[in-house]
Amino acid sequence: MWVANLDKAAKKAAAWLINKTPIRNIRDWGIAFSLWPVHFTTSCCGAEFAAAVAPKFDAERFGFLPFIGIRQCNVLFIEGTLSKKMGEAAKWVYEQMPEPKFVVAMGACGIDGGIFWNSYNIVRPKDILPVSVFVPGCPPRPEGIAQAIIMLQRKIRKGELVKYEF
Amino acid sequence: MSLEERELEVLIGPQHPASGHMRMIAKIDGDIVVELRPNIGYVHRSVEKLAEAKKFLQIIPLVERPSLADTTANNLAYVMALEKLLGLEAPPRAQYLRTLLAEINRIHSHLYGLGIHGVMIGSSTAYMWCFGDREPFIELAQELTGARLSYSYIIPGGVRRELPSRFTEKVEKALRYMENRMKDYFNLYLNNPVTRARLEGVGVLSKEDAIRLGVAGPNLRASGVPYDVRKVEPYAAYPDIDFDIITEKVGDAFARVMVRVKEIQESIRIIRQVLKKMPEGPILHEKYIKAISPKMREYMKETGEVKFPGIFANLRIPAGEAISRVEGGRGEVIFHIISDGKMSPYRMRMVTPSFRNVILFEHLNRGVRVADIPAIYGSLDYFPPEADR
Repeated sequence: MWVANLDKAAKKAAAWLINKTPIRNIRDWGIAFSLWPVHFTTSCCGAEFAAAVAPKFDAERFGFLPFIGIRQCNVLFIEGTLSKKMGEAAKWVYEQMPEPKFVVAMGACGIDGGIFWNSYNIVRPKDILPVSVFVPGCPPRPEGIAQAIIMLQRKIRKGELVKYEF
Repeated sequence: MSLEERELEVLIGPQHPASGHMRMIAKIDGDIVVELRPNIGYVHRSVEKLAEAKKFLQIIPLVERPSLADTTANNLAYVMALEKLLGLEAPPRAQYLRTLLAEINRIHSHLYGLGIHGVMIGSSTAYMWCFGDREPFIELAQELTGARLSYSYIIPGGVRRELPSRFTEKVEKALRYMENRMKDYFNLYLNNPVTRARLEGVGVLSKEDAIRLGVAGPNLRASGVPYDVRKVEPYAAYPDIDFDIITEKVGDAFARVMVRVKEIQESIRIIRQVLKKMPEGPILHEKYIKAISPKMREYMKETGEVKFPGIFANLRIPAGEAISRVEGGRGEVIFHIISDGKMSPYRMRMVTPSFRNVILFEHLNRGVRVADIPAIYGSLDYFPPEADR
């Protein structure tokens, strides 16, 4: 009995330790500079997203590089309109990502449908996913994406988004 | 799995390493693809239906969204159809400005396609170079129109803005830069043995099949069919301009890439001619200039920006049907507008090149190796939002 409780106690101690100030700061600092977005193109804003990662705007300087495997990524960028068919896929992708994970919705369509607000085939990202940052614009400029990354990093370092519970 | 069930079904996408919002359902036997069916419709946003509820001028930004990397073709085709119904033609200077923007757009759209193809076959250098070299042209277009990708530059009866000052020099600088870079592209990417091995002889589309399947754009010309709407049915300033239709004979993935590369060089030639031959004159049809108030007309002369006349707000198009065709970066864009004399179209149909090319996924990926799927996919320059509309 005592041994079984030790396991629980160790987890609790780890959670207490990792949420304690100096370690927690280091943890949040680390997460803020290792944002790996999924290579998941939902719509036309992908053209500007690709430009943001390309040489001129170079999002890699924020520690931000699109990656292929969902299970090694922690940021989901909703690049524009989410159709009903794509919404399901976005949910699957989000569920497969490891914790801690963040969602950024890009473009006017990501906020409230944009130019397609009365289309019969779209869903609002905020209805199906916990979105942390919205980027306005149709399409947003690559600078807008850089701004979104910085905002996300600030939010993470304030400790608003990441919570470890055991 | 028993020995009889040798075929395995593999689902590729909609989240996959290549950029693309679609799923491919592949049946594979070992390393050989037996059958590949594209599952499209992931980006269907009902553009045609929404157009029926919007006013004619509001539809211009709407039709641009489906093909965001190649917006001018859709914009131009839509406005050309409207002008046919209105029975007016833009003044010559506006026609030249339209051609200028269309060619700048073709260059950066082709570079987009080449870059994405580079990522798909695992050459990050190609992606970085193409996307880096795309920026000068995007910036030129931005200076001319005010937006990076979604220009909405072409309006019924003309264009929205005059050439900015010293624009010709800036264009010349960008063109010379691109010409020099082309040599690097050949040295490092296109003549690279790895690229050649991945692309040559892969996904061969014969001339007969290309015609039978109704393929459009560079993919058609790569199979040796010299079909280009700019020559077949000249529009804007193309009748006055001397250029060649780029064709390749082989029809494999490498030929499709080479057609795009050579079209960039041809576009550079066209842009130089356009800037040399550009006539002076108004950029908006006189019927609309008359409708603008005198104060605003003065403002227009000073800044070179067109102020929309009041009739644009509730533009009524005479009843009738019109079809227009434009050669975009990815191929032939067709717009069919039926108007019943109201403020919105009764029906708007857009036929996009990507939708016509999607049949090639099934046709070309039969009997190839699994590693060839991305090489073929990328070479088609397929843009799903454009196909799904």
